[in-house]
Amino acid sequence: MKTHLRAVLRSGKFIVGFTIFAAILLLVFIYPLFNPGNPLQMIGYNSFTKPGTYVSLYDSLDTRRVYTFRPPGAADVRIDAKLSPEDRESIMEWLLSYSEQEGLGLTERDIDIEYTEGLMALWWQYYDSEIRLDGMTIARRREFERLDLRLDGLFNLDDLHVMALDPETGEYDILFATVSDDDYVNVDDVANVIYLPLGTDGFGRDVLKQLVSAIGTSLWIGLIAGSIATAIGLTLGLISGYIGGIVDDIVMFFTNLITVIPGIVLLILISYSISQLERGPVTVAIVIGVTGWAWTTRSVRSQVMSLRNRDHVNLSKLSGHSIPKIIVRDILPYIASYVVMAFILQISIGILSEATLSMLGLGPSTTTTATLGLMLDWSIMKSTAHISGAWWAYYPVILAIALISFSLNLMNTGLDQVFNPQLRD
Amino acid sequence: MNAQSTIARITKNGYFKYFSKKTIWFLITLVAAVTLNFFLPRLMPSDPVAAIVGRLAPGMQDPEAIRRVYESFTQIFGLDKPLHEQFFIYIRNLFQGEFGLSFSRYPRPVIEILSNAIPWTVGLQLPAILVGWTLGNVLGALAAYIRRGFDKTLMPVMLFLGGVPAFGMAIILLTVFAISLGIFPVQGGYEQGIIPGWNMTFFTSIIRHYHMPFWSIVLISIGGQSLGMRSMSIYELNADYVKYSRYMGIKDRKIVGYVFRNAMLPQVTGLALSIGTMVGGALVAELIFSYPGLGSTLFRGISEGDYPLIAAAMLIITLMVLVTVFLLDIIYGLIDPRVKVSQYE
Amino acid sequence: MHMGKIMLEVNDLSTKYITRFKEDVYAVSDVSFTLEEGRSVGIAGESGCGKSTLALSLMGYYFPPLHYIKGDIIIDGQNITKMKPDDVRKNVLGTEIAYIPQAAMNALNPTRKVIRFIEDVVRAHDPKATKKDIHDLARQRFEVLNLPESTLNKHAVELSGGMKQRTVIAVSTILSPKVLIADEPSSALDVTSQKAVIKMLNDLMDMGLVKSMIFITHELPLLYNVTDDIIVMYAAQVVEKGNANQMVFDPLHPYSKGLMGSMLVPEEGTRETKLAAIPGTPPNLKKPPEGCRFAERCKYVMPQCKVYSVGYTEYGDGRGGRCLLSETELRDLYAIEN
Repeated sequence: MKTHLRAVLRSGKFIVGFTIFAAILLLVFIYPLFNPGNPLQMIGYNSFTKPGTYVSLYDSLDTRRVYTFRPPGAADVRIDAKLSPEDRESIMEWLLSYSEQEGLGLTERDIDIEYTEGLMALWWQYYDSEIRLDGMTIARRREFERLDLRLDGLFNLDDLHVMALDPETGEYDILFATVSDDDYVNVDDVANVIYLPLGTDGFGRDVLKQLVSAIGTSLWIGLIAGSIATAIGLTLGLISGYIGGIVDDIVMFFTNLITVIPGIVLLILISYSISQLERGPVTVAIVIGVTGWAWTTRSVRSQVMSLRNRDHVNLSKLSGHSIPKIIVRDILPYIASYVVMAFILQISIGILSEATLSMLGLGPSTTTTATLGLMLDWSIMKSTAHISGAWWAYYPVILAIALISFSLNLMNTGLDQVFNPQLRD
Repeated sequence: MNAQSTIARITKNGYFKYFSKKTIWFLITLVAAVTLNFFLPRLMPSDPVAAIVGRLAPGMQDPEAIRRVYESFTQIFGLDKPLHEQFFIYIRNLFQGEFGLSFSRYPRPVIEILSNAIPWTVGLQLPAILVGWTLGNVLGALAAYIRRGFDKTLMPVMLFLGGVPAFGMAIILLTVFAISLGIFPVQGGYEQGIIPGWNMTFFTSIIRHYHMPFWSIVLISIGGQSLGMRSMSIYELNADYVKYSRYMGIKDRKIVGYVFRNAMLPQVTGLALSIGTMVGGALVAELIFSYPGLGSTLFRGISEGDYPLIAAAMLIITLMVLVTVFLLDIIYGLIDPRVKVSQYE
Repeated sequence: MHMGKIMLEVNDLSTKYITRFKEDVYAVSDVSFTLEEGRSVGIAGESGCGKSTLALSLMGYYFPPLHYIKGDIIIDGQNITKMKPDDVRKNVLGTEIAYIPQAAMNALNPTRKVIRFIEDVVRAHDPKATKKDIHDLARQRFEVLNLPESTLNKHAVELSGGMKQRTVIAVSTILSPKVLIADEPSSALDVTSQKAVIKMLNDLMDMGLVKSMIFITHELPLLYNVTDDIIVMYAAQVVEKGNANQMVFDPLHPYSKGLMGSMLVPEEGTRETKLAAIPGTPPNLKKPPEGCRFAERCKYVMPQCKVYSVGYTEYGDGRGGRCLLSETELRDLYAIEN
């Protein structure tokens, strides 16, 4: 046993798998300490805000210290932020169509889209929201209207005055703040800053916070489902493999029956039969465990069958030990490593099954806890985040599922190589 | 001569016993599965008739009229009879190849709905499983045989691929190739607005829609299969007979042939089983791509409480698995001497 | 000393294993001996002393984790260590020297019929052999060796343990090799099957189907009954050799003496020869000690034993040993003790 343990600790695959898994676990336990609170709290009023640091505009104006910076090129950067290369292309497209319609004779060579002043001069000279160009859709026209509004005052660097309401006059005539183009505030000085490394989901909830809590819940589901499946599979496999005969036939009959009806279909039917109200994460985990034991039974059974005629088992039989005693003392220790591996695999199957069920809308029905499957269900099936390009709402979830099962599989492979010498390199 | 014929007779008897035992279990399991297929959907807490009435008689205000329509539908579907009687009717109909009318798409017969869906599922999954299985096995065998760098890079990649859930792969491919790059269509089995038929437009449309679900299944099965094949091959490569054959002077190429044949036998089981379980296996992928196959149909049936549709779809799925397992048992009993010895007795 | 034709001559053969942690394990060091036509030699030693590795090393065909370091293996005048691996495979293995593995139970491919495997073996050396010739040869050989012909059309799994072992022996010797190496061929079998296996090996020698034999076992009583000479190995080296009679009743090396002592008084219920008679454990073969490898456990150890490396000394009449003391000094030592 000691040598095995040492070999396990020397197995690169096991260590890498274990490290990834431990890192995930650590994240689940540590992250909430730094970012406490309800992970499903809706903090945003827009759906799918992109990842980033959000600074309160209001508090920025109210910040006590204002710094002056004049970095070279700041004006260009500001212009580029308002006028993207696509916008420049659009402007040229509009000018060319307009010129064609009106016979102005402008060609692509006359318009230099890199020369901002020239481009904007042409735009301001010709554009009018009243002009209707042939063959342009209304949607496209609206886009140009918006662009024009956005570009208004593009080169303007005058100070901005923020006025406050004078309660006596009822007018905005108290100067609250004057902001010039070289004023800066330090993010740390701003009272309200929200860090959203993974943005928000369709309901305005912090994705990272939700993800961490979902990983925790999903691991629990995997653990419960895996324990149930392994317990049932181990018990039935031991009984059927050791006792054999009619008991074996009966157990194998049920095992075959479960195998024949695809697990997912069985899961779907059972999940549907349980009313929505009762379908919490634990119930779902139990359902997954109760339907997923068949292959564990099969493999434990075949292991036991190869063991039951070994010398030491026969010796125990001759010594008159009871069947439970023989199973626990003479059989179980020999398949222990195998059972551990089967258990690890069942955990990852449990997590995957929960995710699949939830994607079908049959996961835990809850608005208080997140699971990895529910996160996918909410973002993909319910809000089509994948169509709107909100990758942060589902890619991290898929990655988390893949990483969890990857790390568990790696650990399993490492263990397999240690306990199954024929698989060694 | 005499002794040999005795041995042959014993073997034949042994196989007959094995065959009959397998057949009896096949039949018992089939009966049990059919029974389960009938009762399980009926445990669901939905009222399908109410749903049909709501759909077929919209805007009906008179409660008495609604009740009459409701009752007539209950009668049509035989839901007014006691459950056991419904069961016997169901069994009798089964023997006449009759699956009944769909609840949710009344009055279309179940058989018609399913026969529209099956070609899509089989057409998508059978090639995908075969391609994934073949590529996976070749890669796995190579990894086991070459080892070193090839194995060291391939193995973690495959472990990772195997860890990505089927729907995850579907979503990744969908977002990258269909949505971001726009190379392939986002969903469906063919473009909307095209009338299915034997023409070129329809055919190219099918091919364009085929890629995404196809490759997502292929990638997933490559991951799983190559890992299985790799460890089976390593197991066999380290077997005593390999060493012995080498010391008897047999060429490495020939020995590799032994090894892969032996490693393949369990892989063939895997292939047969994944063909048998293909509907359940890729249900979510079909849903994500809105592919018009059996998986989507079954799921719709379940969410609409369409008992006859669910029972029939499950019967098809169950039969596919059962028949595959049965055939495997029979064939293995013939070709794999290891099974022969352990089972015939 | 007998004057038979020399079938096998081994000079200073050293080989090593490279483990998966890239460590070298020197499992065979400077082994030399000769084997004449019609004679058999037994190799004895504790488990892990390198006797099975020696068996594999003698085949002259090395693949990882086993690696050749130095030395010659000369079979019937032909030095096989100088040949290309594929030449060894084609022209030496099976025809010049053949091997019966330790785990003969699993030595046959489970999914190939015995006759198909024999075809593969024969064709590996003679690609042009016809099916009929091979089948005739196999049938005839099985008949001579009293094996049922029906075995040929069976798979390994269909055979009992004893039959499997005898089939492997028949397959190994199908090409009438000059040297046969049998590595613990009978240790996993019941007594009846053990006897059948030993009888079969003797028959093969008597009929001249095998010209000479090396028999490896940890069961010493068996060696005394089966082989002409005995070589005792300790920590990858030959510590003593001589004819079976001398080795059993008059061992000279302190290790052989301990080994034979434990053999004459067999420990109850021990299958592996864990030598209760000699305390201590063999040295680590990753870093073999400088001096005598047995020094740590030797009853008669002297300070210089741990410093000087000890060579192998011929005592004459085919006898020899690896000890700093000479034959007479050893005899005197034992005489005083008694």
